[in-house]
Amino acid sequence: MNGSLNIPGHTLLHRLGAGWKLGALCLFGLILFATNHWIPLAIALAISLCLLASTGLSVAQARKQLTGPLFIVAFLMLATGLLVEPMQGIAVGLRLMALITAGYAVTLTTQVSALLEVIERLFRPLDRIGLVNSAQIALSVSLVFRFIPVLIDQARVIREAQAARGLDRNILALLVPLIVHVLRSADDIACAIDARAYPPPAPPRKRQVP
Amino acid sequence: MNTRDIVLIALFAAITVALGLAPRIPIAFLPVPITLQSLGPMLAGAMIGPVRGALSQALLVLLVALGLPVLAGGSGGLGMLAGPTAGFIFGWIVAAFITGMLCKMWIGQGSRSGQGKWPQVGLVFVACVIGGILALYVCGALWLAVVTGMGVMKAATGVAAFIPGDLVKAAFAALIAHNVRRAYPIELK
Repeated sequence: MNGSLNIPGHTLLHRLGAGWKLGALCLFGLILFATNHWIPLAIALAISLCLLASTGLSVAQARKQLTGPLFIVAFLMLATGLLVEPMQGIAVGLRLMALITAGYAVTLTTQVSALLEVIERLFRPLDRIGLVNSAQIALSVSLVFRFIPVLIDQARVIREAQAARGLDRNILALLVPLIVHVLRSADDIACAIDARAYPPPAPPRKRQVP
Repeated sequence: MNTRDIVLIALFAAITVALGLAPRIPIAFLPVPITLQSLGPMLAGAMIGPVRGALSQALLVLLVALGLPVLAGGSGGLGMLAGPTAGFIFGWIVAAFITGMLCKMWIGQGSRSGQGKWPQVGLVFVACVIGGILALYVCGALWLAVVTGMGVMKAATGVAAFIPGDLVKAAFAALIAHNVRRAYPIELK
């Protein structure tokens, strides 16, 4: 886990608001599924490839992220082409690649905090009627960030202790003590958060003065 | 939803991420290596219950959407949620819920003293197979069928190749959940 996937920069996509980008991506997806002809789909793929190139990412990074999906898409293209119809296979391949590259371009050019803000804004109506609590969502997201290095460290400690006793790599012998350990610390963390009275109570509503 | 629930939800989302960081096991001919990550939803359901388990996986989907490299092999981002295998990612929410639901019904609150070790492990294993494999693959195959336009049956036979590996993972999940519960019982919620 080495930070987020986005890269710094000042290209057109970087400057665009996160909400607009997400909206455009949804619209793009809907349009792609509306057509089955290869010409508009190929144009769409060309557009999203141009967008991806405009973000200024390195070839090595693109290869690392896109090789896996590319394999799956190629396999699906072949499977659909053979099982259903050759043209359908081409349409499927073009559409999926266009969607994946466009989504990747948005991810590359949008900071996590900006996306989180959009999601908070989307949740706000639900928050108001009491279905979700956006403070709790924010808390849980930051807790995940905190837990991951703890888990990795603890896994290393347990593995070293077991190696010292001559125990070889064994998923059960590693995961059981690891999970028991982090569950214990989870209780401490919950108590600590409660002791600090988090999440802060909502500000009092303005009362109408008679 | 108290603070402890939130901490447990975040913890199991983090465990699912950490499982994706474990070394992958490549399999000849298959483009997708087997990862330990799909242990995550099974463990979440079997150990903290249906609602909290499903929420922990929903939190993971949120992190994917935010563009964090939380999926196996350091991938993530909106591209993964639009791709052909996205049904399996969304399916984790359903998988954790169903696994947790069955565990809650069969095992109940804490470990039942009347049952021996192996019947209990067996029940959790069956819950993991139904929730973590059957329900998950239904979600994955339906999404794949919609995205590619191939029939549901064809998509289902395509994804069935991964079931043997997942059966092994379900057995691991059952053993881990049982052993952890013996050391540290948590009420399923």
